[in-house]
Amino acid sequence: MPELESRLVNCFATAFPDLAREEIPSVAAGSLASWDSLASITLFSLIEEEFGLSVLPDDVPELVSFELILDYLRSKLSSEAQA
Amino acid sequence: MTMKLAEALKIVQSAPSDAPPLPVALLCGFAPLHLETFLRAQLCKLFPARSPVIQTGLFDDLLGNVQRVAGVSAAVVIIEWADLDPRLGLRRLGGWEPSQLQDVLSEVSRRCVRMHNAIAAAAKNCPLVVCLPTLPLVPISITPLARASEFTLELRNRVAALSAVLSHLPGIRIVDPQRLDSLSSSHRLDVNSDLSAGFPYTLSHASALAGILARLVLNPPPKKGLITDLDDTAWRGILGEVGVQGISWDLENHSQIHGLYQQLLHSLAASGTLIGVASKNEGSLVEEAFAARNPILRASDVFPFEVHWGAKSESVARILAAWNISADDVVCVDDSAMDLAEIQAAHPMAECLLFPRENPQAAYDLLERLRDLFGKDKISAEDALRAASLRGNAELRHGLNEHGLNQDSPGALGDFVRQIDGHLTLTSQKQPLDSRSLELVNKTNQFNLNGRRFQEAEWQNWLNAPDTVFVAATYRDKYGPLGKIAVIAGDLRNGGPSGKRRLCIRTWVMSCRAFSRFIEYECLRWLFAKLDVEEVEFDFLPTARNTPMQNFLQQIRNAPAEPHCRLSRAQFVETCPELTHVVEESPNA
Repeated sequence: MPELESRLVNCFATAFPDLAREEIPSVAAGSLASWDSLASITLFSLIEEEFGLSVLPDDVPELVSFELILDYLRSKLSSEAQA
Repeated sequence: MTMKLAEALKIVQSAPSDAPPLPVALLCGFAPLHLETFLRAQLCKLFPARSPVIQTGLFDDLLGNVQRVAGVSAAVVIIEWADLDPRLGLRRLGGWEPSQLQDVLSEVSRRCVRMHNAIAAAAKNCPLVVCLPTLPLVPISITPLARASEFTLELRNRVAALSAVLSHLPGIRIVDPQRLDSLSSSHRLDVNSDLSAGFPYTLSHASALAGILARLVLNPPPKKGLITDLDDTAWRGILGEVGVQGISWDLENHSQIHGLYQQLLHSLAASGTLIGVASKNEGSLVEEAFAARNPILRASDVFPFEVHWGAKSESVARILAAWNISADDVVCVDDSAMDLAEIQAAHPMAECLLFPRENPQAAYDLLERLRDLFGKDKISAEDALRAASLRGNAELRHGLNEHGLNQDSPGALGDFVRQIDGHLTLTSQKQPLDSRSLELVNKTNQFNLNGRRFQEAEWQNWLNAPDTVFVAATYRDKYGPLGKIAVIAGDLRNGGPSGKRRLCIRTWVMSCRAFSRFIEYECLRWLFAKLDVEEVEFDFLPTARNTPMQNFLQQIRNAPAEPHCRLSRAQFVETCPELTHVVEESPNA
């Protein structure tokens, strides 16, 4: 598993301790009851802490699955690296 | 000290859920979110045998949250600017017009008064940790940021006044902003988080603040004694080489940091900390130095002096014996890393700190560390007596040795104890809460029935129960006063299968300074007589350090100490030595 994905799995594992690690890459807010607004705040705070970036409030409503967050991080980190 | 959110969540998730709960209220006007997580994680670390449970209140209702707090071991109150006037927060649009500033000041004053009243009332039921605004002020004032305006200075003045008034109230611990400044970054306000989630703190600020709050909830007892070296530590220079006039602790000789260290030791001694000296030196030279040079650390601050050429660890062992405390209650300070290593090897539980003689900045950091290790809420009457009573104890032991007596043998001790004119004063007054009694319960290790410790609120709630018996003992004899030295608390139980009225002692502690005086026997005799009980049950548990209690129970029962062991009145009469103390009851006994 690439490093970025592995680090994101760790964030999910900390925010959702009852979730098995192998389930994490396919998880989405709609399929996980414990992914409520509070868990969302915790998850994005963990991601900000882990990757040293800021997730803008306007972006959060779109980031509703592991896959989407992973794509978002790839894009954000890549644009930051180019800048 | 700063913890990451991921680490905090893992600590919280792995905390044992079956441990006794530790309910702590986190009262704030914002969404507690990560501050709650960090606080719980820090409490898990500081209270490993407990399961911290954080109770929070309603959003945007700090005052109501404080007024409603109940049933917790401690409460943390976080006051931010928005709690004093919503216009000072980001989530309301009440206006920042210059014409409104006077009204903001008036509103802050009103709310400070209401907050003071609510906090003072809550502090009667449980200890409160109070934190005054930690966030930067919003740009409401008319001046450029670098210039303090009359408005902001007035505002801060009101908060400082609230803080000062609260600090006088018992049961309230105020977070020191200076300490928070040193641990938390200047980047404290998270605008995104405040606007989107109602949580105004950056993660790093929340983490640092939670660390301080948890430590104030724990309120750890201070270390009891400091053992210091002299040469190149208390003063600059090797006494044996430069002579009495060659040592220094002043600016002229670039040795001021040693003077500051002495100043701190003198202050600690005056606050009841035991100060001992372990120095490889000639005893006569050290005596001359203290007499002729008049150091800030006075000879009378120190007991005992261990000055010889033997190993430092032996000196530490003798000092610990003179103080009758264990190594984990002391800090040893020395400029020699080798001597510290030798002490540490012999006394692994002692905290050994290097005095960095060639680095004043590092030495200053050491002074701050020492103040933190020995810091206390207030100075009690016992603090003033401690060193003198230890000297008295040394005289008593000398007296015992002269009589060829073993202090573990009650029979042999009797004649001697009769000559020392012991006066015991007993009180059973439960209110107001006596902090010295709780301090004794939470600090005493050797003569301790079971090692049980109490949070202030737990202790207070237990004492408030009608069947709870509480006795505190104060003692003096010809060797001087010892102050309040023993606490007994238990429950009265009537009838039962045996039909006997019984006292179940659940907590019994006595300061080690009060050993060898039969005080423990006299307390039991008083309890049998005063409460008219036929039997005493001991909620005994062996601990690593309560051998003196185990020995006492063995002696008085003629049987090994064991959990819930009992002692009948008849047994007590048979085994109790002759007691000759003058026993007085305080008016409320």
